[in-house]
Amino acid sequence: MGSASHVTIRKRVTLFFFFVVLVLMGLFGRLVYLQLYRSSWLLENAVYQRVRDIPVEAKRGRILDRNGKELAVSVTSDSVYAIPAEIKNAEQTAAKLAAILNLDPEKLKDKLTKRQAFIWLKRRISAENSRLIQQLNITGIGITQENSRVYPNGSTACHVLGFTGIDSQGLDGVELTFDSTIKGKPGSIIVEYDARGREIPAVQHRYISPQTGNDIYLTIDLVIQQIIERELDKVIIETQAKSASILVMQPYTGEVLALANRPDYDPNRFAEYSPKNWRNGAISNSYEPGSTFKIVTCAAALGENVVKTTDRFFDPGQIEVQKRHIHCWKHGGHGSQSFVEVVQNSCNVGFVNIGLKLGATNFYKYFDLLGLGKVTGIDLPGEAKGLLIPFEKVKLINIATMSIGQSIAVTPLQLINAVCTVANGGEYLRPQIVREIRDKDNRIIKNFDRDVKRHVLAPTVASTLKGVLENVVEKGTGKNAFIPGQHIAGKTGTAQKVDSGGYSPNKYVASFIGFAPAEKPKFVMLVVIDEPVGLYYGGQIAAPVFASAAKDLLQYLKLSQVN
Amino acid sequence: MLNRRLLKNLDFVAIFVTLLLLAISLVFIGSATHINTPSEDRYWYVQRQGLFTLFNIILVYFTLNFDYKILSRFANALYVINLVMLLAVMFVGHSALGAQRWIQIGPVSLQPSEFSKIIMIIALANMLDHRWGQLRTLREVLPVFVYVGIPFLLVLKQPDLGTSLVFMAILFGMIYVAGINTKILMGIFAAGIAFMPIFWHFLKDYQKMRLLVFLDPNVDPLGSGYHIIQSKIAIGSGMVLGKGLFGGTQSQLNFLPENHTDFIFAVIGEEMGFVGAFLILFLYFILLYRGLKIAGVARDNFGTLLAAGIISMLTFHILVNVGMTAGIMPVTGIPLPFMSYGVSALTTNMLSIGIMLNIYMRRQKILF
Repeated sequence: MGSASHVTIRKRVTLFFFFVVLVLMGLFGRLVYLQLYRSSWLLENAVYQRVRDIPVEAKRGRILDRNGKELAVSVTSDSVYAIPAEIKNAEQTAAKLAAILNLDPEKLKDKLTKRQAFIWLKRRISAENSRLIQQLNITGIGITQENSRVYPNGSTACHVLGFTGIDSQGLDGVELTFDSTIKGKPGSIIVEYDARGREIPAVQHRYISPQTGNDIYLTIDLVIQQIIERELDKVIIETQAKSASILVMQPYTGEVLALANRPDYDPNRFAEYSPKNWRNGAISNSYEPGSTFKIVTCAAALGENVVKTTDRFFDPGQIEVQKRHIHCWKHGGHGSQSFVEVVQNSCNVGFVNIGLKLGATNFYKYFDLLGLGKVTGIDLPGEAKGLLIPFEKVKLINIATMSIGQSIAVTPLQLINAVCTVANGGEYLRPQIVREIRDKDNRIIKNFDRDVKRHVLAPTVASTLKGVLENVVEKGTGKNAFIPGQHIAGKTGTAQKVDSGGYSPNKYVASFIGFAPAEKPKFVMLVVIDEPVGLYYGGQIAAPVFASAAKDLLQYLKLSQVN
Repeated sequence: MLNRRLLKNLDFVAIFVTLLLLAISLVFIGSATHINTPSEDRYWYVQRQGLFTLFNIILVYFTLNFDYKILSRFANALYVINLVMLLAVMFVGHSALGAQRWIQIGPVSLQPSEFSKIIMIIALANMLDHRWGQLRTLREVLPVFVYVGIPFLLVLKQPDLGTSLVFMAILFGMIYVAGINTKILMGIFAAGIAFMPIFWHFLKDYQKMRLLVFLDPNVDPLGSGYHIIQSKIAIGSGMVLGKGLFGGTQSQLNFLPENHTDFIFAVIGEEMGFVGAFLILFLYFILLYRGLKIAGVARDNFGTLLAAGIISMLTFHILVNVGMTAGIMPVTGIPLPFMSYGVSALTTNMLSIGIMLNIYMRRQKILF
């Protein structure tokens, strides 16, 4: 071996060294990538792998009426669970628990030795058993609460309340719209595991208790609600109607004091009813309002100053618009009448004339101001918008028929809210169903103040219209709503139902909308009776319902002073 | 025998780094096993490994008494003993983890393939020493490949793909330093790559699977890909400073299998973070640097070749093991030198260091 060979060795050992450095640099680079660049992602992975948590349902908040009477409550019952990895002596534990829970000790032991993170031993046990088990104080055995929803008043106000599903989630009504605030914050049972599903020694599972949900105070007054529920039951029996709704609102605040529909259901057993019964017709059904809508026509005409109360109209019994004849309900017509008398008699020909004088632009302006054709924004699910012929497509004949409440569909809520605008002196408000939200310690979390959207009518105009409507009850078609000694204002409505393209000859919607006392109303009430059998005029069947309910309401309100 | 002059020539840097690595190893074996020991004693693994570490230190000191040159005299005998041992494993060995690699001697399970690595280095160093300057043609090179090829195939048959690849690393490292014609070396590499598809057919299914999951661990995340994914998560989740000693959740909670043997680097990465992992790599760097320095200053070619072989072996182990835990190398069951739990590997590595120290200690040519 010569010296050249020795140089070769040196050179090769040096190159070898560079190769080794290269290898180590490669590994170093990989560490930088994993531990510095990708590390947070990998860390998340590590945590996710070893922590499992079992959710513990929170106790749902209550729903109460405006005076704090419970309408929906949650009843908790205790359930026993086990974390099998923590159980030290399965046999002994099983024997002790079996004695209390009246279970087969063998089966219980099987459960306690399961290779499972978490297992229910028995659900919904008695308070006494729960106490006994807690006294045993066995590691790995725990008690948690499970809820069931109870509606103590049964079907009362069911369409407002809604109901909850098996996992305590709100499915309808206020239970649905306010689900997030009412349901509380679920707690959890957190267990850390190793790769074999064994719990980590020395670390006991943690119980993070759930937070009870907030209480919802509705605008509903249980007493008023019960009054209208009673009236609905009565009217359904008397008229054999397909369905019926009553809405009561406080016009100055926009609060819904009562809302009820028939058919209804018991939210405690909602699943036993047809979903049709769940439907909240008062806000979800659109119908042709008929003559009750004439209040809107009046409001527009007076508001735009196209008529004065002293203007006179002549009714020959019919009117021709675009080659179509619109008849007055009274054969032969009403002859010559003042504006007040037109409303009092609910004279169709008179109203068509008023509508035509008003014109499409003005009429639609008031539809818009009074919130027709769009949802009112009440905090309840399933609100309908109603049906309104688009302004670009509206014809003269449509203006004529809309003046008397045809060719337009509204929800009962839209109509009553529009009438509230008249009743309160001209302010359009968003209707409210919830007054306030309180936490479980009764601290107010949120207040729902009156929500004035816009000023629609001058107070003087509203006042005039209220006088005109009071006259309807005193002398006109609304006589049956009259209560001696009270100032009641209102309007009847009888609408033929649309049935496969045309008006049905024997299906009607009878309704009455009114408020009292007329000058400064404490409430506005709408009664809608759908497809009554026999008598069908709003003045004949809806007005008496209004009167009967209003009598009790006024008495109650005088005593309780709802503000 | 050992005199003051020789002891003064010891490579104290290499000794210090080795002892440091061994100490760190005991700490992390403790961390990785204290929860999941089969015996009552939580630190059974640590005690056992510690005991053998001490034994090996004494053994190394003992070997320093002899000039490494005498190894060349036993080289051929060792080569034969190695073949016998590997054959013995095939017939009397017992299998663990799907491969037949172990021989039980008293309380100790020995892994002959671990020892065959150091034997291979000695035997090959002797052979290449005798053929110095005669690696110019394929005809001259071929016998060397046959010489390594026989034990290589026996180990591959066990099956122990990892160790057989270590043989290849040793062969290429040593033959390169021995001055092989680089054209021939390149040619052999090219041929090796060309024959890869054929080699593939000789692999066992589980070996094929390991290579496939290496390319994409998510092919089988709970099976073959599990190690890779868990190890990566462990290292990565350590971030800069780690979760603290004994605080690694992935390794402590058994998400990471084999955490005290093949995957100990993941435990270090998780518990000591980037800083700890980097420190370990840096210690290896010093050790390998010292090794190549020794190869350069050796008094004869035999010493140079021994050191080169040892460094080839260690480098390959570090690359494959750390690469495996970091998810850039397939899982092949190669332990991390001086770190992984395991008596056979420890002894092999300690003897290797002993030989390195021996070469360095006797680097000065005898002038008197």
